[in-house]
Amino acid sequence: MRLPEALRSTTFRWTLAIAGAVAACNLFMAACFYLRTTMYLTSNIDAAIAEAASLIAASSPEDATESIIHRLRDDPRRVKLAGLFNPDGKRLLGNIATLPGTLALDGHAHATVLPRIDSNGTEAQSARAVAIRQPSGNIVVVGRDVDGMRDVAATVDRGIVLQLVPALLLALILGAWLSVRAQRRVEEMRAQASRIISGELQARLPIRQTRDPLDRLAIIVNRMLEEIEMLVRALAGVGDDIAHDIRTPLTRVRATLERGRESARSLGDLQAVTDRAIAGLDQSLAVVTALLRIAEIDHHRRLAAVDAVQLAETLRAVAEFYEPIAEDKGVALELEIETAAPVTGDRDLIFEAVANLVDNAVKFTPSGGQVLIALLHRGDGPVIRVADTGPGIREDEREKVIRRFYRSDKSRGAQGGSQGFGLGLSLVAAIVKLHGFRLVVASGAGCVVEIICGAGEPGEVELLPERLAAAPVALAAE
Amino acid sequence: MHPIRCIPWGADLAKILVIEDDNETADEIVTALSDRGYRPARASTGTEGLERARDSDWDALVVDRMLPGLDGLAVIETLRNENVMTPVLVLSALSAVNERIRGLRAGGDDYLAKPFALGELTARLEALLRRPAAPRETTLRVGPLELDLLERTARRGHRALDLLPREFRLLDYMMRREGQVLTRAMLLEQVWNYRFVPQTNLVDVHIGRLRRKLDGPDENPMILSVRGVGFMLHAPA
Repeated sequence: MRLPEALRSTTFRWTLAIAGAVAACNLFMAACFYLRTTMYLTSNIDAAIAEAASLIAASSPEDATESIIHRLRDDPRRVKLAGLFNPDGKRLLGNIATLPGTLALDGHAHATVLPRIDSNGTEAQSARAVAIRQPSGNIVVVGRDVDGMRDVAATVDRGIVLQLVPALLLALILGAWLSVRAQRRVEEMRAQASRIISGELQARLPIRQTRDPLDRLAIIVNRMLEEIEMLVRALAGVGDDIAHDIRTPLTRVRATLERGRESARSLGDLQAVTDRAIAGLDQSLAVVTALLRIAEIDHHRRLAAVDAVQLAETLRAVAEFYEPIAEDKGVALELEIETAAPVTGDRDLIFEAVANLVDNAVKFTPSGGQVLIALLHRGDGPVIRVADTGPGIREDEREKVIRRFYRSDKSRGAQGGSQGFGLGLSLVAAIVKLHGFRLVVASGAGCVVEIICGAGEPGEVELLPERLAAAPVALAAE
Repeated sequence: MHPIRCIPWGADLAKILVIEDDNETADEIVTALSDRGYRPARASTGTEGLERARDSDWDALVVDRMLPGLDGLAVIETLRNENVMTPVLVLSALSAVNERIRGLRAGGDDYLAKPFALGELTARLEALLRRPAAPRETTLRVGPLELDLLERTARRGHRALDLLPREFRLLDYMMRREGQVLTRAMLLEQVWNYRFVPQTNLVDVHIGRLRRKLDGPDENPMILSVRGVGFMLHAPA
């Protein structure tokens, strides 16, 4: 069953195509060879008969007659032609029955058809022939039959058959073999793919280390599978996280309502309980709202309201916005503007992104610490940096914090109230991606997040521990 | 009593047409509006809404963006072309990022994305019904509070208030809408000029600062918190 399928394969077809091309090439070369050979032979014949004709024409009538008779004497292959005609074109001597009217009497060789007459009878022969008029008015014709040239063609044909048939057979066999081999690999890959489809996400395509295209393709697909597997596993965790983040306030609401129902003695009591319940519900709603907002931004393929955004102005507004809350917490909020270059984007979304970064920074920086909002000038464009002196993000958690709903409970413990969602950075990442900017998360003595608005591979989240590790301290010193 | 119920201004006069195809949402809106003393009516298709909007004098319209028959934006555009300048609040389940601009461009006066809190809806509607005093005025007064827009100074009674520029703008905005519930989202949009939902209760912090400057130790508070909705500036009794 496998062979017919192999014969239908692309590899096999390509092999056939190449074999065909080789055959065409061979035929072309044979044709060239044939042409060159016949041209060479013709020019040899031409030179010989022209010389003979001119010799005969120049000699005395007796010598000419003798030469023609001598010339025709020994001719077992019946290729030699010679004749002498009187000025009226009547045959005087030789084996040419009549003088063809078309033959020019110029002493040069021409292709023509001569009627041969000898002991075997009369026969028209294709020939090269030279005709010269003697001073006496008689015409000397010397020719040579070229039908014999067909032998050359036959030889060439035999050569072609001997060469092409084995070559084509070899190509067929090679093609079938390659095709079967490729087919076998595809079959292996299909088997692996069906394992993956059936849920074995850790399965990978086989790689043979041959660096052939199929191998390289398999490597690419495997890398893709790795990413998909990671995402799927992350998503599985998201469900739990969402449930957790929504359930916590809801449980509190339930408890509040239950207690209120038991213990409320007045309308005022009941109203107080209701207010607390509403606050708790708002908190659950905020989680859902934030989640939807991220999805909304994620799903936008392009920006709706694009404008030149003055980043300096945006950063000033964010700083001013967060100033009171930072002051209340005893966190110094500093602003450093290095460049005035505008970027193209959605003003509100960029504000939202920066605000979320600052929100996180202020939230996680302990009293006495510092948050720096900076607009830096770099070769490839402006860079927004928010650095804090908080606990930072552990290296193994850096990528996860950008994932929707990740709560870095260990290092950046949820602070309770409405402040603990791990959604801020996911939102920032979504906005950054929409703009084609880059987000860099680093951590050393504190947390440093950069939005790189310049050119480069957009939409990537980078984690660069070394380059920025000491950044907050250095900046604080400046 | 809940403060929202004490809206002193002639809310009972306000006739509001709600053009909304979803029965449940429409019922909620109508109930909330009549609870607050408005006189709401409902149309459930674009065509019906357009007819009713033309038929009588409404004080405000609440128009859903997506309607069967005639699209919400088309209704508004038609009305505007016919010189009907009734204030319109556009409701939409569509993404706020793109749709808000289209809604406002079509002639809507304000835009609210679904799902929304009813408090947000009524506060915004009230803001539309009570367009603030003409911006030509140079001095705003609410009770003992006085804001000089030319000198950029503020005083409560004889006491001068030392306000930051943003606090001045905040107070300016609130004084023009005295006795009106202002939601956090409205304040963010109008005073800070940005549309987003902060993760922290930042507006409360800013209001808290303003409050501390506004109210002396033995003075009556002028900014009330309306729980679950927002804030309101009023003259102390």
